[in-house]
Amino acid sequence: MEQLKQQLRQMQENLEKTQNEQRQQIEALTKKLDELTSQRQTASATAPAAAVTTNQLNELNEKVNQVVEAQKKTLPSEFNPAIGFVGETVFSYRSKGSDQTGSDRPGGFDVWQRSLEMVASASVDPFAKGYAVINASADSASSEATLAVEEAALQTTSLPGNLELKAGRFFGEFGRLAYIHDHELPFVNRPLVLDEYIGGESQSDGLQLNWLAPVPHYVSATVGVGDHFGGDSPNPDHPGTFRAFDGLNFWGRLSSYWDLTPNWQLESGISGLINPKTEDRGGALLQPNGVSTLTEKERRLAGFDLKFSYVPLQNNQFRSFNWGTEVLYSDNRYLSDPDGIPSNGDEFRENVGSLGMYSYANYKWSRQWSAGFLFDYVQSTQNHSDVTMDYSPFITFALSHWNQLRLQYTHTSHNAASGLKPDDAIYLQWAWIIGAHSHGWQQR
Amino acid sequence: MKLKSLFVTLIALLCAAQVQAAKIRVVTTLTDLADFTRQVGGDHVEVFSLATGIEDTHGVPMKPSFVPKLNRADLVMNVGFGCEHAFLPALLEASKNPRIQDGHPGYVDCSVGITPMEVPLSTDHSQGDVHPYGNPHYMLDPVLAKTAVQNIYTALVATAPQYEADFRASRDAYLAKLDAKITEWQQLAAPLKGVKFVSYHEHWCYFASWLGMDYIGTIELKPGIDPTPRHITDLIAEMKAEHVPIVVREPQFPEKVPALIAKETGATLVKLPIMPGGVPNTGTYIEEMDYIVHTLVAAAQK
Repeated sequence: MEQLKQQLRQMQENLEKTQNEQRQQIEALTKKLDELTSQRQTASATAPAAAVTTNQLNELNEKVNQVVEAQKKTLPSEFNPAIGFVGETVFSYRSKGSDQTGSDRPGGFDVWQRSLEMVASASVDPFAKGYAVINASADSASSEATLAVEEAALQTTSLPGNLELKAGRFFGEFGRLAYIHDHELPFVNRPLVLDEYIGGESQSDGLQLNWLAPVPHYVSATVGVGDHFGGDSPNPDHPGTFRAFDGLNFWGRLSSYWDLTPNWQLESGISGLINPKTEDRGGALLQPNGVSTLTEKERRLAGFDLKFSYVPLQNNQFRSFNWGTEVLYSDNRYLSDPDGIPSNGDEFRENVGSLGMYSYANYKWSRQWSAGFLFDYVQSTQNHSDVTMDYSPFITFALSHWNQLRLQYTHTSHNAASGLKPDDAIYLQWAWIIGAHSHGWQQR
Repeated sequence: MKLKSLFVTLIALLCAAQVQAAKIRVVTTLTDLADFTRQVGGDHVEVFSLATGIEDTHGVPMKPSFVPKLNRADLVMNVGFGCEHAFLPALLEASKNPRIQDGHPGYVDCSVGITPMEVPLSTDHSQGDVHPYGNPHYMLDPVLAKTAVQNIYTALVATAPQYEADFRASRDAYLAKLDAKITEWQQLAAPLKGVKFVSYHEHWCYFASWLGMDYIGTIELKPGIDPTPRHITDLIAEMKAEHVPIVVREPQFPEKVPALIAKETGATLVKLPIMPGGVPNTGTYIEEMDYIVHTLVAAAQK
């Protein structure tokens, strides 16, 4: 009985679908007929009406055939992933040389093809998608381009329980901007604190699990594990001959969001990272006195971030305001060797607690123009007395969605403990996109 | 006795909650789809629209507060033809709701059955932010909007076949009402036949085709690209040569350039919504179309 009812429902549904399709076809044909009739009426007396109609039909057939042929040609590429390229060139002038600024770029005039990224993504199967970001960037000394896999990961799309698993090489979710690629930052350079405490982008080889809380309010939680964390040291943390479980990096993030009004938003999160046994990530670090060394034994990092945004519903393409701030506290444990001679008995363990932060505001007043200010403050992870500060006003001109110029001035000041000199720099960044690109959730 | 009445109250509350829970949770991208879903779904649906009506159809902000709504949704109704490419794919991914992902039954593309206009020969970005599948603004032609209503009906029936009779009755009643309004609008808009106009963004090709208006061009240089001074000069010259009497500004675009063009050409500047809620007193699709047709007729008669 129930089966019969179901069959009947199915038949009714099919009938309605067919009726709908036929109704649409009738409407389209009626419209076409009206057009042809109207054209026939206005056709010149010398041209037979039937001939006009036949010619038009032939023309229409030709057009349809062209479309069919074109589709045949594109079919072999249907299985290719979506591919896009992002290019980024930075022209700069710095008042001091790299020996005085500690930068890996030279002072004076410099042109740097910072990156050429190829981004490819596609569904793997009904359960996962895959993506890869291959980056070629120019070496600061030789200008030779080196190719590196920035990201190559598999991401599930249909796990139950609001879960999503990512595996491979990817930018781990820590803080607000650590997992954003350079060209997507709202300013030219990555904030100092992210370079110092994370090591640039939050790259890791590992696993990451994200969970969306099943409640009406947005709450997202992420945990991850990987053999390194930070793009500046892409090699796994010193593996030795055997890496124990506590030799891995573990991180997590909890974030939430509030609509303050329809146009004002607040987003906030806390993050943490621990590597209980870093062994000697980065090796023995020579201290400014030129003798003593520090060797990292345990890495601990905590962060708090918030973003306050004005995104007017009506004209957010033309007007918006963002204020973002992130504060990080690094509490690394080191093996200190005062005379730099290993294993002579004078080594001791010490904790170095350091604080760093950045804060920026960016105001957009037209589809093309926006401007802002970035403030950076960071204490060295090895010596919290060593402080660096940056002040960076910037202005952005977006010729289009895929072509953007940004001019930034940065004044950097160091305190006496750093041994570095203050300097001034001007940057002109030109970033462009070709091919496929997506508006990702993380870049919102 | 007290216990008994408490028990009865609890059962009643539970039943009420059950009835509430049985509603189909629908998220729509735009407000016209929300209106259609309410019209067809009636009391059986709980509808949330990502847009409020005043947004750009391609620029609805990706608010994290949308994510829990999408996470719990049974259906997501979208315009299709890539209209929502700037926000919907990322929101769907963040929603972690397999039911409503593209290709699954809960993902309802309301453009199915509609022949697109302005399908680009090339999707090269030299042509601006073009829609590879064609112009997605078919909702401004109410005859085509009926197809969207039908697609919504089909999706609702597939989700809750037990309410099929209700959905069918509501759909038929709404389509009959819409048909009557279409006849009324077409009669009212007779003076618009052949009237030339320009708009800020290329929203109006289906609308122009429906009423036989002559859509001359857009203030934007290309879709999503701001006008250059040269383009504005050329457009003003063309409008003067063609005697274009109307400049349309959609609410999400700035008034300065359209006002300048209207002043230079002597054309009438009108602000027209592109979905319900775009301007005051246009909360439903019929109210929106009423507003558009009346405003244009008034402008053409100036």
